[in-house]
Amino acid sequence: MSWIDLLDLLQSVFDGVMFGTTYALIGIGFTLIFGVMHKINLSYAAASIGAAYLSLLVVQIVPTPLVYLCAALLGGVLGALVYLVCFRFLPLNQPLATLMSTVGMLLLLEEAIVHATAGMPQNYPAVFAGVVFDIGPFMVRGDLLFVFALGCLAMVGLKLMLEKTRLGLATRAVAQQSVAAQLCGMSVSNTNATTFVIAGFLGGTAGAMTGAAIGVLSPLLTLPMTVKGLVVTVIGGLGSIPGAIIAGLVVGGVENLFQFLRGVSERDIYVMLMLFAFLVFRPGGLFAAPGGRD
Amino acid sequence: MTSRSIRRVLSLVPIAAALMASTVQAQTREVKIYAFGAKSGVVRIFGLNSEAAMKAAAEQINKAGGVTLGDGAKGKLVIEYLDDRCNAEEGINALRRIASQTDAFVAVGPTCSNVAEPAFGILQKKVGDASDSGLQFPLYTDVAAKGGLAAMSQWAFRNVPSESAMYKSLFEWIKATHPEVKTIWGGVEKDFAHSNATYNVMKDHASKIGFDVKGQSEWLLADTSFSTQVREMRRAEADLVMISAHPFTTCGVLKEMQRQSVKPKMLVGLTSSSSLETLQGCAAQAEGMVIPTSFAPVTADARKAAQAVAAGGANMDLHNAAAWENIFTLKDLIEKSKIMARPDTTQADRNKMREALANMKETTGLLGKIGRTDDREAIKPFLFVQAQKGEWAVAHKPN
Repeated sequence: MSWIDLLDLLQSVFDGVMFGTTYALIGIGFTLIFGVMHKINLSYAAASIGAAYLSLLVVQIVPTPLVYLCAALLGGVLGALVYLVCFRFLPLNQPLATLMSTVGMLLLLEEAIVHATAGMPQNYPAVFAGVVFDIGPFMVRGDLLFVFALGCLAMVGLKLMLEKTRLGLATRAVAQQSVAAQLCGMSVSNTNATTFVIAGFLGGTAGAMTGAAIGVLSPLLTLPMTVKGLVVTVIGGLGSIPGAIIAGLVVGGVENLFQFLRGVSERDIYVMLMLFAFLVFRPGGLFAAPGGRD
Repeated sequence: MTSRSIRRVLSLVPIAAALMASTVQAQTREVKIYAFGAKSGVVRIFGLNSEAAMKAAAEQINKAGGVTLGDGAKGKLVIEYLDDRCNAEEGINALRRIASQTDAFVAVGPTCSNVAEPAFGILQKKVGDASDSGLQFPLYTDVAAKGGLAAMSQWAFRNVPSESAMYKSLFEWIKATHPEVKTIWGGVEKDFAHSNATYNVMKDHASKIGFDVKGQSEWLLADTSFSTQVREMRRAEADLVMISAHPFTTCGVLKEMQRQSVKPKMLVGLTSSSSLETLQGCAAQAEGMVIPTSFAPVTADARKAAQAVAAGGANMDLHNAAAWENIFTLKDLIEKSKIMARPDTTQADRNKMREALANMKETTGLLGKIGRTDDREAIKPFLFVQAQKGEWAVAHKPN
């Protein structure tokens, strides 16, 4: 491998790690819901992309950061809607019921996007899109640095919320022992609904950041983002927020590493092999959350 | 005339009116043209645009008096469009469903090559072959672009431009008019049949014409990150970058090229990208991209057709322009081959329509005469368009 090949390899991996922040943001949402309800919400990435699409309604009238805020708020609304339709009135002791309802919601949201836009890709605004930092022979994209900072901010914010607020206390209590939490006067359904809104808020941000990082929104994004989000959640450790962040970056980096070394037709094989390796040798993921008392 | 007799005459008026109406109804039969393509899923726009073009064409024919059927009756064209989601299995189901209708004697579609290939595969390969139980139903494709598919069955016909001829002509034109372009780098969406097949066509012609094709970057239809691929492009420093991909990834790659300051002297795109989708997704980054296409509103007929389709809320491009042309061609063939469009003549009508399509040597398209090859493909006039300030402008009209 020549010097220039090595530089390209390192740049590719670095680009992948930076792009992995969008996977990390999606992974955080998956893991938050799993942490509280012990359920997988498969429609999460589709709702996130859906929120980004909805934010395009205001793209002509507000500055770009407000478009992102709008995506986040609409993500929260979609999160509440997903909870109501797919979880609130379904038997939660039947794992397949919520799994199937969220699969249905994923397909419904995807088709709704397709019908609203006829499947046409939509330009999505980016902040710092033209900003590129040249560090020696390497190039760092300003927009991805922004997404990375936002991901870290989301992680810190969530951590603070979970540890320092009454809502966080209720969330942790419901996650650990929902019956005891209920006996202490906490409303399980309200806590779950709030978790979905918060996760949706994050999802909307993730959708907007994904759109901004690519520069285009397409319904084609829903399925790969769902798969990547799940891979990140498993590798990071179900229920672990720092795990989701680290795993998002790892998956992004590994993806680009194998894209560079083995090409596009083999790239995903290695990412999936990594997932299987984790499932077999470290099923709890990188940062397995400590088990509850029960 | 007494008032009594006037009342008697007046009382007969409604009866006479009813009789006249039923006679007219009997004389204007509904002539169904079935069609199928993607009306849902991520390439829904293909189906929507095709359906809109066919309906607009049918409306224009009906307004001009409809179609004359074999028994002298007037027929009113009705378009029935089925959704196949760009999915092979659903496309086959749609075709079988159409073929089971007693009022179906021809179908237009599908929109996707990955549906066209298996759909042509279930048709009888050779007419009159009693040992082949394949469907005996004429299919006249408008959109699915992968070359050479009609050779699969004598019941399959296509009004799709030859991408091979288009790209050969395009690279010859580039060679003649842009002598500074010597090297080429390719970009291809590997997992989409049309993009992949057309990339090979592009590469072959570019090499034969004398360009140095230095290599290619590959990505998938749903990829979101293109930095590695664009770095390969950057290293190649080619004079021309040719991208064989659909609008979503074309835009993703063009935006990444802008980030990495990859500025080739020329950009060439896939035929399917010469649509509004690309401009909607990345007009600024696509500026200057040249694409061969079989439609642009450059003739009076083409402008009129584009306006009619726009009135129906769709946009005309190379794909649905073919759908429009197909309906006018079918109208002519229905009249020439004396199609009856009655439930008792269904199979005879299908045979007549196949014969008519097979014997057709030339048709009239929106850009001029369309020739036919022996294996039932079209030889369509084409031109090169270039993205300029958010619009597709004509760059060159080859002879």
